[in-house]
Amino acid sequence: MEVNVVQGKGNELMERLDREGEATEADVFITADAGNLARLKEKGLTQAIESDVLAQNIPEKLKDTDNEWFGLTKRARVIVYSLERVDPSELSTYEALTEEAWQDRVLIRSSENIYNQSLMASFIELNGEEAAKEWAQGIVDNMAREPKGGDTDQMTAVVAGEGDVAIANTYYVGRLLNSENPEDVKVGEQLGVFFPNQDSTGTHINISGAAVTKHASNVDNATAFIEYLSSVDAQEVFAEANNEYPVNEEAEISETLQSWGDFKEQDINLTTLGNNNARAIQLMNEVGWK
Amino acid sequence: MKSVLHAIRRINIWAVLSFLFIVMILLPNLVIVVNFFTPGNENWQHIKDYLLVDILSNTAILLVFTGITTTLIGTSLAWIVTVYKFPLRNFLKWGLILPLAVPPFIGAYTYHGMLDYTGVIQATLRNQFQIEVDQKHFDIMSLEGSIFIFTLFLYPYIYVITKSFFEQQSASIVENARLLGANSVEVFFRVILPMSRAAIIGGVTIVLLEVINDYGVVKYFGVQTFITSIFQTWFAMGDIDSAFKIAGTLMIVVIVILLFEHFIRGRKRFSYASTKIRPIQPKQLVGFKAWLAFGYAFLVFSLALLIPLLQLLYWAFMTYEDIVTVEFITLVKNSFMVAAIAAFLIVVVALIIANYTRLYRSFFSKVIARITVLGYSIPGAIIAVGVITIFIALDDLFFSLFALFGQEPGFVLKTSLIMLIFAYVIRFLTVGYNSIESGFEKVGNTFTEASMMLGVPPLKTFFKVDIPLVKGAVVSGFILVFVDILKELPLTMLLQPFNFQTLSTKAFQYANDEMVNEAASASLLIIIISGICIFIFHKVLDKGEQS
Repeated sequence: MEVNVVQGKGNELMERLDREGEATEADVFITADAGNLARLKEKGLTQAIESDVLAQNIPEKLKDTDNEWFGLTKRARVIVYSLERVDPSELSTYEALTEEAWQDRVLIRSSENIYNQSLMASFIELNGEEAAKEWAQGIVDNMAREPKGGDTDQMTAVVAGEGDVAIANTYYVGRLLNSENPEDVKVGEQLGVFFPNQDSTGTHINISGAAVTKHASNVDNATAFIEYLSSVDAQEVFAEANNEYPVNEEAEISETLQSWGDFKEQDINLTTLGNNNARAIQLMNEVGWK
Repeated sequence: MKSVLHAIRRINIWAVLSFLFIVMILLPNLVIVVNFFTPGNENWQHIKDYLLVDILSNTAILLVFTGITTTLIGTSLAWIVTVYKFPLRNFLKWGLILPLAVPPFIGAYTYHGMLDYTGVIQATLRNQFQIEVDQKHFDIMSLEGSIFIFTLFLYPYIYVITKSFFEQQSASIVENARLLGANSVEVFFRVILPMSRAAIIGGVTIVLLEVINDYGVVKYFGVQTFITSIFQTWFAMGDIDSAFKIAGTLMIVVIVILLFEHFIRGRKRFSYASTKIRPIQPKQLVGFKAWLAFGYAFLVFSLALLIPLLQLLYWAFMTYEDIVTVEFITLVKNSFMVAAIAAFLIVVVALIIANYTRLYRSFFSKVIARITVLGYSIPGAIIAVGVITIFIALDDLFFSLFALFGQEPGFVLKTSLIMLIFAYVIRFLTVGYNSIESGFEKVGNTFTEASMMLGVPPLKTFFKVDIPLVKGAVVSGFILVFVDILKELPLTMLLQPFNFQTLSTKAFQYANDEMVNEAASASLLIIIISGICIFIFHKVLDKGEQS
């Protein structure tokens, strides 16, 4: 089976798929973030796939309730801290980062980023709009600097001493540790990974996943392709390449990930991330999260 | 009846084609304008309440300060290389144009990579000299940083225009000013700057439009501008109606800039005040002054080309084994192919329109000329929105046509490379047209008229007389468009078909995915190819001026 690929940013491709309508050549849509996948479904661009293989390989929580999209890899959005200046016993929850003790010490990228939007969306789901907005306000108040750059930049800034903790996705830490650039590795080695909210709502997780498009002309091949991506073999390659957690529980996780241990995950259906996305963006704008 | 016949006789192939091309350019923009006047929704209210002030002030700051810095650097460099001789002057004279080969977004992540904590500067300070520095001094991801990047990679637009103006214009005036006792600084600020106002404004306008069009730098540095907001509203909020509204507001800003240019420049064009052109005789600088001039010019050259190039070379060296594969060759082929096809089409279209507007001077042809140069003012992201909308409509039409005849439905979009190239033509037609129009202006109409009077029909005259006369301008136009498309980002990102990426989009994708080292090979290739093109262009232009 030959696979043709068009690459781009998730939401841009989605908009394009929407505009192309029935004219699309795309059979499978793969993107990072459940928020993107949920929006894809909401726009009516996906179709339900009944597959025993997928049902077996992918846990309930990491796929759409109507089987319209399927998670393929998983990452946690964690607190990364300076091993030098922060004792992990000071850390507990995402919420605690808004306390006075963390004033001018928190690094996080802009609200324009989908990972932050999804994190915020999960708080809307778990704690309600009011509390979520308060949290965002608290984070803005405690920011060590205006949000800029990507997750890697936040972690680098921790090591450089601009702040003490950063909120980042796990695979970025893995990427630093396994980089070709020795300076990156040094940065990675000065950072600790902390899974927040272990005694309460759990650490925020998100997925990269795939869906068969509404107007796909090769549904069977598309399904077979996603089934293959969820197989143990593909999962190990897939996850290892980017230091992500496989969704297929039989697949091995990379050594880097093993070293951080197990953790408790947020227990919400990821569909809600898409539903709450627009509201999340609005709330973050309202508190002045750049 | 007679007048109708007369009117029909005046409609010729040139007018019809020009009209069609103009409709093609206008349609995508019309989509924006029409949508601008629909009532705003809740999102638009939200944007007005919380974001618009930031967007406006950021954009204003970027425009004002980039305008000032590029003017100062561009004109002062042009001045120095024109009137003085100093070490390496002949090399720097065209070397200072070459930063045009560096797309600002590549400059942005290269500088960020160098200045970053793990970058070469801080790592060297730390590892070799045990010096830990305050990050504040190395932070480039800001408004100021964006201005720095735009200045370094956009100043050549002003440099090129003012340099050619100085070379052809200033000899007697400068000599007179000197005779009257003005020193160099006085000559520059009191004579040269005011005199070259029209040329500078022309250059600054291009710089400002480039700043407005930019997506790569501000997106990477996290500065909210119109373009990033269009992307965010359209894609992240899924609200194309509000995106149209932002785009419409941006169009107003663009119009203000164009009016501003028109107003300041007045009726002046940066052409010769007298027909006698006496090139200025450069003065030999000696000692400290010579080294000062050299130092300044070389500093800009280093910052804007040499240093980023060396950094990219190093990164490319680190990663090329994984990056330069069969896939990479395809990228190169793709980039060349679309750029060459679009540049060719643009040259053809520009020739037709330019030929029409010079031969048939009327209100209609003036309007056509004006609209032709409008495309470049419209940011690529906006053109992309409009073009997609139009192609979808076309496809629907074809779909129902096929169905009507009981055929299997087929889609134009399947060949959506057409869509991308179509958008390129709209965006960059101005660049080709300006070059060819000025070519026609230089040779005048006399040869064409002579040919037609001798009974050669217009079409034959066009191929036998007109095109050979403006050959140089055609080549220049082609090269300029080719380079612009090679560097283009937002439009390509939005419209690239399946299995299709260019060097530009690949480089940006790597950088934006926080893999700067991997972005280096593609970036380097863009810069080298563009650099060669600009070099050739410069040589062609030089020859043109001497003849």
